[in-house]
Amino acid sequence: MTDDKDVLRDVWFGRIPTCFTLYQDEITEREAEPYYLLLPRVSYLTLVTDKVKKHFQKVMRQEDISEIWFEYEGTPLKWHYPIGLLFDLLASSSALPWNITVHFKGFPEKDLLHCPSKDAIEAHFMSCVKEADALKHKSQVINEMQKKDHKQLWMGLHNDRFDQFWAINRKLMEYPAEENGFRYIPFRIYQTTTERPFIQKLFRPVATDGQLHTLGDLLKEVCPSAVVPEDEEKQNQVLIHGIEPMLETPLQWLSEHLSYPDNFLHISIIPQPTD
Amino acid sequence: MWTVRCSLTFFLTGAQTAEAIASAATTKDPSSLVQLSYSMEEEEFFGEQTFQHYCKEFIKHSQQIGDGWEWRTSKEAFELPLDDSEVTEAAAATEVIKYEYHVLYSCSYQVPVLYFRASFLDGRPLSLKDIWEGVGECYKTRLQQGPWDTITQQEHPILGQPFFVLHPCRTTELMSPVVKNSRKINRNINYITSWLSIVGPVVGLPLPLSYARASSQDE
Repeated sequence: MTDDKDVLRDVWFGRIPTCFTLYQDEITEREAEPYYLLLPRVSYLTLVTDKVKKHFQKVMRQEDISEIWFEYEGTPLKWHYPIGLLFDLLASSSALPWNITVHFKGFPEKDLLHCPSKDAIEAHFMSCVKEADALKHKSQVINEMQKKDHKQLWMGLHNDRFDQFWAINRKLMEYPAEENGFRYIPFRIYQTTTERPFIQKLFRPVATDGQLHTLGDLLKEVCPSAVVPEDEEKQNQVLIHGIEPMLETPLQWLSEHLSYPDNFLHISIIPQPTD
Repeated sequence: MWTVRCSLTFFLTGAQTAEAIASAATTKDPSSLVQLSYSMEEEEFFGEQTFQHYCKEFIKHSQQIGDGWEWRTSKEAFELPLDDSEVTEAAAATEVIKYEYHVLYSCSYQVPVLYFRASFLDGRPLSLKDIWEGVGECYKTRLQQGPWDTITQQEHPILGQPFFVLHPCRTTELMSPVVKNSRKINRNINYITSWLSIVGPVVGLPLPLSYARASSQDE
């Protein structure tokens, strides 16, 4: 029987085999070979692609290089979304490796946030962690931590150090003994078929009668189109870290074990693939 | 010199339709809604319904003075109609910049949040640096010292596009003396009006004084 702690490790060390190809219209001095990399599901594109950047810049002149950006089948990839989320949402129905196109020109200002430095990624990451704690603990736990603890969360993610990260993150996963869970669950639900980028609402992990809310309860409440009655054919897949958790899973457990490092449950709903 | 054309919006962040908002704002006893927001012990100090109520009151005044705020619930029909005559006249001698200000509700922090962006007519966006050039020096210093932390670029939660945002995590801290004081002197305030009058000017959005008079006349 898998220990719950093993789940934390499996989530942290999840990888996606990716093939990076330079966009054909980029100007190069020699042919650019594709670059293969295993991307960490829980990290961010601009945090883990220094080697990709270096590889392609080797065959380009400085004047042809502007801000790097990535695209999959015509869709600019939002670096501020975790890698695993982008993959589950956009590419999980396709065969591996994940084929990503690299651009150095024509940054799509209307679609993507700029990523001027690693500091921008850290600021974004910490902002998400703080927002998650605002929902879970009215910001009490994150505000009680020292600056060095915040730094440790970031360095743990940056350097792929599971133990370093969880030494601090475990505090963000605690709750008062008298409660049965967090105040509200930090989650975002993504679908490519809707106009909004994501759904985020206030949702409690425990009902007034003390029963634990499940993933199914959450979907029924905030995204009813994703859940169909038992006898009807399943239209969608509900993915977290590339797996379909059972709808009966308590949301509190999911929040403690399947959240991303930013402490949010990023849930993708995609059409059921036709095999 | 740049000619500025503003577009101002509010947003409903929940799934409710326009009809639902209208009924939420009118069927509830207005005085009870106001009391809900003043109670510090309440679960939701500034809940989404309270947000909607104050926005509705704010927009009523906006419609009276014609300064352009609108209530929107979705991305649809969002493109701003551009008055052609205005554009050609302006474009001849100056650069026209389109500013957009959106007020959204953050359910995580339970406060309003100000999103904004600016672009030239051809779609080229202004950088934060460019926007700040249009803001007074005095506000820049305030922003660095103020309790509202920083301006960062973030994804608009409804439009999915990059906007600049005044981070909401310190808004409650910023607003609580205002709310407390209004209780003490027994005077009605519109939270949205008060909040926007503080944070707006910092990012180039001044609020006409008539809003303050309108607030104290509510109820």
